[in-house]
Amino acid sequence: MSRLLRLLSLLLVLALGAAACASADDDADDTAPEVEETDDADSEEEPDESDGDADADADEETVELTQGDGSLLDAVIAADEVRCGTRDALPGFAVLQPDGTHEGFDNDFCRAVAAAVLGDAEKVNFIDLETADRFTALQSGEIDVLIRNTTWTASRDGGEGATFLTTNFYDGQGMMVETGAFESLDDMDGAVVCVASGTTTEGNVATEFARRGLSVEVLSFEDTNLIQEAFLAGRCDGWSSDVSQLSALRTAYPDGESALTILAEVFSKEPLAPAVRDGDTAWAQAVNWAVLATIQAEELGITSANVDDFLGSDNPIVQRFLGVEVDGAVLDPGLGLPTDFNYQVISQVGNYGEIFERHITPLGLERGPNAQWLDGGLLYAPPYR
Amino acid sequence: MLGSIGAWLRANLFRNRTDAVVTVVVGSILLYALYRFLRFLFVTGRWEIVRVNLPLYLTGAWPSDELWRITTVIVAAALVGGLAAGVAARRAAEAPDRVDTGPRSPGRVALDLLDRLWPAVATVLLLLILARTAAPWLLVVAAVVVAIAANQVGRRLPLRVGWLVNLAIPVGVVAALWLLNGGVGWNEWGGLLLNLALAAIAITLCFPFGVLLALGRRSTFPILRLLSTVYIELFRGVPLIALLLLANQALGFFIPQSIAPGRTVRAIVVLTLFTAAYVAEIVRGGLQSVPPGQIEAGKANGLTALAITRRIVLPQAIRNVIPALVGQFISLFKDTTLAGAAMGFLDLLRAAEASTQQDAFRGDGLIAEALVFVLLVFWAGSYTMSRESQRLEKRLGVGVR
Repeated sequence: MSRLLRLLSLLLVLALGAAACASADDDADDTAPEVEETDDADSEEEPDESDGDADADADEETVELTQGDGSLLDAVIAADEVRCGTRDALPGFAVLQPDGTHEGFDNDFCRAVAAAVLGDAEKVNFIDLETADRFTALQSGEIDVLIRNTTWTASRDGGEGATFLTTNFYDGQGMMVETGAFESLDDMDGAVVCVASGTTTEGNVATEFARRGLSVEVLSFEDTNLIQEAFLAGRCDGWSSDVSQLSALRTAYPDGESALTILAEVFSKEPLAPAVRDGDTAWAQAVNWAVLATIQAEELGITSANVDDFLGSDNPIVQRFLGVEVDGAVLDPGLGLPTDFNYQVISQVGNYGEIFERHITPLGLERGPNAQWLDGGLLYAPPYR
Repeated sequence: MLGSIGAWLRANLFRNRTDAVVTVVVGSILLYALYRFLRFLFVTGRWEIVRVNLPLYLTGAWPSDELWRITTVIVAAALVGGLAAGVAARRAAEAPDRVDTGPRSPGRVALDLLDRLWPAVATVLLLLILARTAAPWLLVVAAVVVAIAANQVGRRLPLRVGWLVNLAIPVGVVAALWLLNGGVGWNEWGGLLLNLALAAIAITLCFPFGVLLALGRRSTFPILRLLSTVYIELFRGVPLIALLLLANQALGFFIPQSIAPGRTVRAIVVLTLFTAAYVAEIVRGGLQSVPPGQIEAGKANGLTALAITRRIVLPQAIRNVIPALVGQFISLFKDTTLAGAAMGFLDLLRAAEASTQQDAFRGDGLIAEALVFVLLVFWAGSYTMSRESQRLEKRLGVGVR
């Protein structure tokens, strides 16, 4: 009896395994139109099952062709809500308020997308994501757009199934030290540098110090509260993070802002950009132009306060931008957005400068690279015509 | 009096030189820790962060114009709870084998209730004081008044309709969930409300499931026994957080997004499946503690197997394992924070952590204040459950034969 049971259980396990494999294949086929990442995952896990992959690939190709009519843009309009991947506690970018709302730079760009697509900046469903979950959530379709302080890199663009759009914030990793302790990175030979774990920060510090031929000890911490305690206790010589975050930490430092100095060297490029899922051009363009609307408006001098005055402007560039009739016609660029989407974004959320001033300026950060191209920055919106 | 204290001290703390040294060393460490903690509580702690963030801690991102849903459910729960307690009291009073303890005055009843529920009452009072607005006071007073009134009505109801009240509890739970979830998606649930909802739903679901699994494991049908055993050993053999992460990150690849449940539902499913395996083992222990003579006696009386299980075995088995069961439920209640951490939704713990980064508080290192509040709330909930289970044990005479 007992032997029979054991045999039975073995059979059961085998059957379960077979069933799991079979159903995984089925699901891969089913989800291929939505989740391209599935195929990558399959090929990594089961390199020898070339037949199954070939099938999946074939399916995916046919699906790619038909994808145009199943854009997320239509789904978002049908749901009357933009599901925006965000986080809950990053000063300046996304912070949960006591009443449960999200306030921050990134969150305002989510609102800009909602204003552009749905005409109402409040129709955003903010979904808090862990750093490790953010791309999974994007691939699996749990969120429509990821605006979560995410650096645009080649491997994320390629490997994570994400398409990055116009950079909305140019950040870079820097080093913060006690005022007067060090003048530059080159003075910091043998220093102890404290960073938050689970990000690229850690590796960047090691790389930069090695490049300069300096030795360094990197201490990783779970969260910024702990780093601050360690820093106050003198366990760290330097504190490395994105400059925007160092600024935020500096303005709220218990010993006062002047106790800390951010060194001039910035040793990584961190262009923070919204991301959408690969393979959905219509939705990507919609999100992209919502972001660009804020940049274009600032260049034109249009703010949420004066946007209604600009409706009467006789400058055709402004008229086209705000969806006012020019020569008897309203410009519809064919993005699938309402013709007045720029007006909605500006009147409800504001232009780039307003968003920046609302959330980033209080952190003690200058516009720097985040200024308009006319002012020597990197913000440059393609013409709206 | 003083002499007896001195004698007690000598007998228990300073019996010989070693005892004296241990007492002094350990005592001073404990006293210092207590001093630091009290100083933190009353002097150095800055509780502003808790006061300001109470809405966030209690309900997360729940929209403020939908709060009436929660208010309605609280008052309705007071109504049904009061009715049920009233009917139960009347039934107990008219039971043929009751021990006459004489009529109890309302004051005495209130005192008993306070004694029973003081951790929860104290926490609610603290929350009310922190809230500093009138609305929560009104809500609590209304709920208490409704509960007392319903209790009186319940005592006067004819016993024939008593079963209707029993039916009202499960119906009420479903209706409450429907009402709460009606205009507010799972995604906007948060804070303590989410922890409580997760725990309540998972406990309600895992208990019957666990009992069935336990019966299945002791069944005489080999296939049923095998399936139950495999299930139990599988779920007891994996870490909860791994299951939660799996449900969070991998599910979307197996099930099309259009039909895949949201994160909260996934958490409920995982917590239920996981705890059911433990409940099954606890209940199985209870089943084994029922003497075989009970079953034989049932058979001798011509009862069916189902009737023996339902009327003889299970009541005794479950009565015997109440402490372990409640322990498992308390553990489940606390594990809801693990679900929050693994799946990234805004439960009480995450809300507390996030609040330290608000502009008004960041850099102030207020994480300790926020976490102490979280500890207090979970302790009050768990300790209340524990005390209620002890009361239940006493009433059912567990450990007394």
